Amino acid sequence: MVDAARQPLIEVKAYTEVEKVEGFVGNFKVTLREKAKYVRADRCNGCGACTKACPIEVPNYFEMNLAPRKAAYVPMSQSVPLIYNIDMDACIHCYKCVEACGALEAIDFSMEDKVIEEDIGAIVVATGFSHFDPTPMTEYGYGRFPNVITAMEMERLNNSAGATHGMVIRPSDSIRPQRLAIINCVGSRDKRYNTSCSNFCCMYAIKNALLLKQMNPDMDISIYYIDIRTPSKGYEEFYDRAREAGIKFIQGRPAEITEDPDSHQLFIKSEDITLGRVIEHEYDMVMLNQAAIPQPDQDHMSSVLNVAQSPGGWFMEYHPKLRPNDSPTDGIFFAGACQGPKDIPASVSQGSAAAARASRILHSETWQIEPTVAVVWPDRCVSGKGQACGICERACPYGAIDYTKGLSAEVITAKCHGCGACVGECPHDAITQLHYTDAQVLAQIRTLLAIEPEKKILAFRCQWCSYGGADLAGTSHFEYSANERGLRVMCSARMDADLIYEAYRLGAGAVLYSGCHPQDCHYITGQIAGAKRAARLDKMFARLGMTPGRFRTEWISAAEGDKYARVINEMQETLDSIPEDQLKAEIERLKPEMEKKLTKLGEIPGVEEAMIQVDFIVNEMLNKVVPA
Amino acid sequence: MNHDAVADTLAEQVKAIPGGEMLMMCYSCGTCTAKCMIQEKLEPNYNPRRLIREAVFNLKEAAFTDQTTWLCSACDLCYPACPQKIHISGVITAVKQLAVAQGEQNPYQVARVDESTCVACGLCVQVCPYEAISLVEKKVPFRGMITVASVDPGKCMACGMCNAACRSTSIRLIQDFNDNIVLENLWSWLESEPV
Repeated sequence: MVDAARQPLIEVKAYTEVEKVEGFVGNFKVTLREKAKYVRADRCNGCGACTKACPIEVPNYFEMNLAPRKAAYVPMSQSVPLIYNIDMDACIHCYKCVEACGALEAIDFSMEDKVIEEDIGAIVVATGFSHFDPTPMTEYGYGRFPNVITAMEMERLNNSAGATHGMVIRPSDSIRPQRLAIINCVGSRDKRYNTSCSNFCCMYAIKNALLLKQMNPDMDISIYYIDIRTPSKGYEEFYDRAREAGIKFIQGRPAEITEDPDSHQLFIKSEDITLGRVIEHEYDMVMLNQAAIPQPDQDHMSSVLNVAQSPGGWFMEYHPKLRPNDSPTDGIFFAGACQGPKDIPASVSQGSAAAARASRILHSETWQIEPTVAVVWPDRCVSGKGQACGICERACPYGAIDYTKGLSAEVITAKCHGCGACVGECPHDAITQLHYTDAQVLAQIRTLLAIEPEKKILAFRCQWCSYGGADLAGTSHFEYSANERGLRVMCSARMDADLIYEAYRLGAGAVLYSGCHPQDCHYITGQIAGAKRAARLDKMFARLGMTPGRFRTEWISAAEGDKYARVINEMQETLDSIPEDQLKAEIERLKPEMEKKLTKLGEIPGVEEAMIQVDFIVNEMLNKVVPA
Repeated sequence: MNHDAVADTLAEQVKAIPGGEMLMMCYSCGTCTAKCMIQEKLEPNYNPRRLIREAVFNLKEAAFTDQTTWLCSACDLCYPACPQKIHISGVITAVKQLAVAQGEQNPYQVARVDESTCVACGLCVQVCPYEAISLVEKKVPFRGMITVASVDPGKCMACGMCNAACRSTSIRLIQDFNDNIVLENLWSWLESEPV
């Protein structure tokens, strides 16, 4: 941190809040609020005379409120930048600090918050995590029993710069504890509070146990756990070392802690899973290893940055396996636990990776994005005609559509990732996707179904998963029906209902609607939109009396070549099982229904008409990108 | 895999009974056992965690003869303590119902209606917290076809609420007996009798 502050190209803006983030990759406009410290940064030399003079003491949050601080303070002596700060909520305006500061004249009570706007190329979010407060878990008595402390309180007690100068003492009577219990999973892996595992607590419990054991080898330390998770390199060896050092591991989640009110001794009741017996042990002190939870203002930050949150509240990454650093918005990256609980090595690697990813943007004159972006045709957008709509805005997983009532919707091209969800959802065919325009997809459908359509299986595949699955089926020489005709779009969300209707209007024997598995979608929520639409279509076709199996929805990953082949073969079997006359009659019967649906949605999308739209859009794009 | 075979497993049967759905979510942390009053005061070998395990692994015989199946009073101390939000007493009741359906006898007490005095006032039906009592029409010796209360032994938790509420002392907790118990008692009576 000190190094970072000394580096001339790094500017540290401490005590500053991000108020607004606008714009897009390479061109963010960020509004910052530099909060008033009441100490002038250009004059303060960090001598600390004001702190000595200040008569007010309040609890120090950095010490987990175990030690006091003054109203004129720095939270810890290693603070960067070392500039003092006056806590106006606590200050009584005695001005003793002004006197103590003397000729330096660094203290300025007339300071006010400063709002500044900066041009930013890339943003790295490293807002960290917070701790679960175990007070609501009454069974553990935190807050009621003085000797039940949290892991962070133990961390300060065990720190040589902390409140007790590194002496671990129990809060009730300042005696050094001889019997200590550490309870894991307090508030984590618990459906009542936080469902997820907090990742680092097992190692953290072992680390603290070993540190305490080093200081006092006679200490009796037990760790209560549900499962011990030591997944990284060297972690299991560390766990072994703890066992060697005599730390006891008890499998079983404590049900209750009780206290002797006179001696403040604690009794933990739990089941010892290995013995299958209920045990009760006495301890001097209990440390609760509480859950890591998102920062209390994570929701606010998520709306400021316009990045989504995963279940549980953490910031959501672009892709959990392939792009864990990037936010879905280009130019915003995550480092550390704001994206999910992680330990120090993982946070450091993610931080370095985020810096490298950000510098790619800073060193580029131009920024390339996928060419498959969505474009709105303003003449058709009903919002421009004063109707309330906004379906496209809700469909977009990236917040790339600017919808204002009364104006036609607009795609922020730099934010668009080209999934086509808006194109599929728009009920007025007012949006299209370059390279996957309605005209192009329709032309493909018409070509693929030109000859003997009733014998064909038209397979809509998404670019990332099911197309890859079909590819693998081919390269692995899995045999599947030769009547399959594959068609690629970017995402199952792009598989517009119109396209399916058109396929059946032309007399397709069967249609496969395939995409990624729900958690694997490359466009965050694209598959969810696709799945909803598929379910809707399925229901409708059933109502129209279509033979079951002629419309099929399957989620096939790129690794499931065998599944792709199996699904196609099963569909072929279904087709074979329908007598030809009956199939032809059914197709004829459904044709007017399909035409009706297509008409209802505007007009029967003809290639020629759609081409007009494409020409228009391409011209629009050229005008936009290359100003005349 | 044969689907009929899957539906036959104890876990699937328990899951099909309302209250037993969350069975498979148990990660064996033991909080329920350590929280249990019956384990603490009555029966040291009582262990809901083990019962769930027996159900998950289809150990039918072990589950049906486990004291945990029969002793639970559904006080639900464990339910709010469970980090996986499993309704443990619901699972136990489900196992118990299956055990009764298979002909297992409750080795402990159940409520029993004295049909010769029951007036079918329905008070017991109202107070029963486990919905184990219902009014049925049946033929009772010397009284003809009348409506009387009837206890479902698969649901009865032997709490005694009905006993306390009954105005005609027609319902009380007794040991459910079968032929074996009768014979056993008979033998012990015969043996104890001075010749």
